[in-house]
Amino acid sequence: MSNIQKGNSILEISGLKVNVQGKAILKGLDLTVRAGEVHAIMGPNGAGKSTLSQVLAGRPDYAVIAGHATYLGEDLLALAPEERARRGLFLGFQYPVEIPGVNNVYLLKAALNARRRHLGLQEVDAFEFLAIVKEKMVLMQMDESFLKRGVNEGFSGGEKKRNEILQMTVLEPTLAILDETDSGLDIDALKVVANGVNSLRADNRAIVLVTHYQRLLDHIVPDHVHVLAGGRILKSGDRGLALELERRGYDWVLEEANAE
Amino acid sequence: MSARPEATSALARLQPALARLPGTRAWQQWRAATLAQLVADGLPTPRDDSWKYTNLRLLERRELATAAPRPLPSDVLQALPAAQGPRLVYVDGRFHSALSDSELPAGMSRTSHATLLDGPPPPEQSGPVDADLRLRSLNLCMAVDGARLLLAGGSAPARPLEIVHLHTGGGAYPRTRLELGAGAKLALIEYQLGVDPADAFVAAVTDIVLGPGATLTHTTVQLASDRAVLVDDTHVSVGRDARYSHRLVALGGQLARFDLRVDLDGAGAEADLRGLLFADGTREQHIRTLLDHRVPHCSSAQLYRGVAGGRGRGSYDGKVIVRAGAAKTSSRQSSRNLLLSKDAAIDTRPQLEINADDVKCAHGATTGTLDENMLFYLLTRGLDRQTARALLTYAFVGDVLKCIEPQALRQMIERRALGRLPAAETIREFIA
Repeated sequence: MSNIQKGNSILEISGLKVNVQGKAILKGLDLTVRAGEVHAIMGPNGAGKSTLSQVLAGRPDYAVIAGHATYLGEDLLALAPEERARRGLFLGFQYPVEIPGVNNVYLLKAALNARRRHLGLQEVDAFEFLAIVKEKMVLMQMDESFLKRGVNEGFSGGEKKRNEILQMTVLEPTLAILDETDSGLDIDALKVVANGVNSLRADNRAIVLVTHYQRLLDHIVPDHVHVLAGGRILKSGDRGLALELERRGYDWVLEEANAE
Repeated sequence: MSARPEATSALARLQPALARLPGTRAWQQWRAATLAQLVADGLPTPRDDSWKYTNLRLLERRELATAAPRPLPSDVLQALPAAQGPRLVYVDGRFHSALSDSELPAGMSRTSHATLLDGPPPPEQSGPVDADLRLRSLNLCMAVDGARLLLAGGSAPARPLEIVHLHTGGGAYPRTRLELGAGAKLALIEYQLGVDPADAFVAAVTDIVLGPGATLTHTTVQLASDRAVLVDDTHVSVGRDARYSHRLVALGGQLARFDLRVDLDGAGAEADLRGLLFADGTREQHIRTLLDHRVPHCSSAQLYRGVAGGRGRGSYDGKVIVRAGAAKTSSRQSSRNLLLSKDAAIDTRPQLEINADDVKCAHGATTGTLDENMLFYLLTRGLDRQTARALLTYAFVGDVLKCIEPQALRQMIERRALGRLPAAETIREFIA
């Protein structure tokens, strides 16, 4: 991971087509993400944003029917979800699942050690781990009671999102894909979450924000903004594009694309 | 009654064994008559409604007579956690004084079922015996020993009482009676423990009577050997404002069935039943409960979790009866079951029979596989598939396990239950 340098290719997607329950959702998607970059993928509801996130993480019931995705030089689509995770790909879920009976912190420790084993690093013990996680909990303004609870068990929507970002800050991924991380957050929680994400911005790492609204991008300023609609990236630009989308909505991008 | 030759043969073979049993001439006559009736009736079969999911045909070729006492391995109790309190040990239904503690909890007195054999036998059964009662009847026919315990009113020993039933092969007919006086409080831990590789047949009977305001926490840990057939029939009467909690952990046996009947006999009586059935390999684990709300203002809660893997089989057959006039009854019943392989199966039959107004009853039963969304979430965090599956399986039974006390017992059960799961070493860490 340390040998990744700013500008190195982290993710290259070309011509990706994905069916969900027999229905074409992604219809030839291209995207390149390099180290040091923050990308925002925006688009109307039903555009395929969540499908893209889930497919990149390896969701088994989404069928890739064409195209390629290369992650750090490897064929991403040939890797099992757990292999992707250990190679530093992190998905922050839009709807993190509740898993009663599986302790939040033990899961996170197991996740960190799975990653460290892959990197050839020594596993952290319970004591070292607690020190790491407590530091990150301060950053995420999370209560110590989180340590004792089941994974997302009884968490509010905002707590679940915070927990996702806490996991991300502990795991220090190479590529973080955050699916609608801003949805359901009030402004204070949004700032905390944005802080957590910003703390991870680095030259050897990339972040992909998948979002419907511009407001998250006030707090996490992206280098690149893409419009995903109808299963394809229709337009790419810089932060100005996001502001324009907020002003004008998505329809004009669709019209432009149709006109081509 | 039609003849059922395949099942009667094992019972018929028991006849010569009767002559070796102690007791008065009247008892001998009673036994002969009772066994003859059982031979005529046969063992229960799935054609009997209350035995719909349990098939005892395995018993055909089993020896049902109790074997002569044989030497026990010196480490026979090593499989159990350290005794949490005074321990009574029965080997194939007979009291074993050397393995038992001589001291009893304060306020408790003990006699033996053997003393009853000097007195008059029960009235003779006329006509066929109800399928529900045949194993009870067989137990009474064959039992030669068994604890009869009385905890005096107001007593509340600090430490649990343990009763260990060891099976060494052949028939075992453990018989226990426990009565708690008014306001008495006790924790009872019962073990059913097989000495491998015993192809035992165990027909256990337990009768419990809780006086007004008494509290019993009763934990049954079933660790029969892999070839054992075990049927355990427990009947509890819960008095006014008394509370009965039962925790069942069924891990062993080739075929094991636990029948639990709880009568809520006094206003304010409560029952809280939780159980875990683990049917891996070709094991069968069955539970049948009957909760009888006989008077107003009683509450009952049932929470059962079943896990079946390999070609394992299981069932939960739970009935709640609310008698006419038992107003303000509250009853909850939940049975959730997890199938870890496509060849595993668990049947559920929750039944509610409500004959009163103003009652709150809820029930639910599900059987399914591991939740794919949970599994995917764990995989995206880098856990391998085997660990993720084992972890979710463990979490599934957590509702029951977390109620097991004391901690040493819970940890032993966790180790035994986890030992059946792949990736046990990895997930052990999660519950450290």
